[in-house]
Amino acid sequence: MDADDGLLIERSLRGRPDAFVEVVRRHEAAVHAFLARRAGRQAADDLLGEVWLRAFAARGGYDPARAGARPWLYGIARNVLRAHWSARPDPAGVAGPESADPWDEVVDRLDSAAQVRTLVSALRALPVTERDALLLVAWEQLTPAEAAVVLGVPQGTVRSRLHRARSALRPLLEEK
Amino acid sequence: MTEDVTEHGDGLLRALGRVEPPRPAVLEAAREALWSAVAAEMLATQPPGSPRRGRAAGPEHEHHHRDEPGS
Repeated sequence: MDADDGLLIERSLRGRPDAFVEVVRRHEAAVHAFLARRAGRQAADDLLGEVWLRAFAARGGYDPARAGARPWLYGIARNVLRAHWSARPDPAGVAGPESADPWDEVVDRLDSAAQVRTLVSALRALPVTERDALLLVAWEQLTPAEAAVVLGVPQGTVRSRLHRARSALRPLLEEK
Repeated sequence: MTEDVTEHGDGLLRALGRVEPPRPAVLEAAREALWSAVAAEMLATQPPGSPRRGRAAGPEHEHHHRDEPGS
């Protein structure tokens, strides 16, 4: 059986830094998708290497008891995105770094059906904290416990945010 | 946990998150950036005079090796 991520990261800290590359291989497609969903494919291409460098530098803080590193890597990717957004000018002058998600690009990935646009508008209107929690579960298929690792908040907080987000979107999601 | 969303019909929400898989060259380029950091750390932790080990490095890594203080 393959060593879990926690073991590999621990090994990478004990004289075998190259063991970290195997962790990266396991999660690179998922982390790229995480970036691409939120910032577009080109930005994901550009930022993926930065995620690995930051993760490698920060691996001393990884809890080796966590067998799977993906939520931790998503958390680092999220920080890289924040830095990416904060470095970009905000043409509207109203959106902070955390709300600068490229929703127009999301719409462009799909057809222009009214329901899609309505849903995107509703997602945009959600508080960022609630939207982040919802999309980690819906897009990245994380559990609330895993989403809590990404967001750096207690699991109960994630559950509350999910509840509020789902309540706000339920009428749209149930629409046919 | 996913039932929390799926029970309310999350097909459209998931469709919003659908993206193309990355090109292999993109993944490889990102790993190359990581390998540079890995190589630098391996060199920094090796005793002076010990043979180099690890992944066969390309010219870029060789450049790092030569520049590494104490290598």
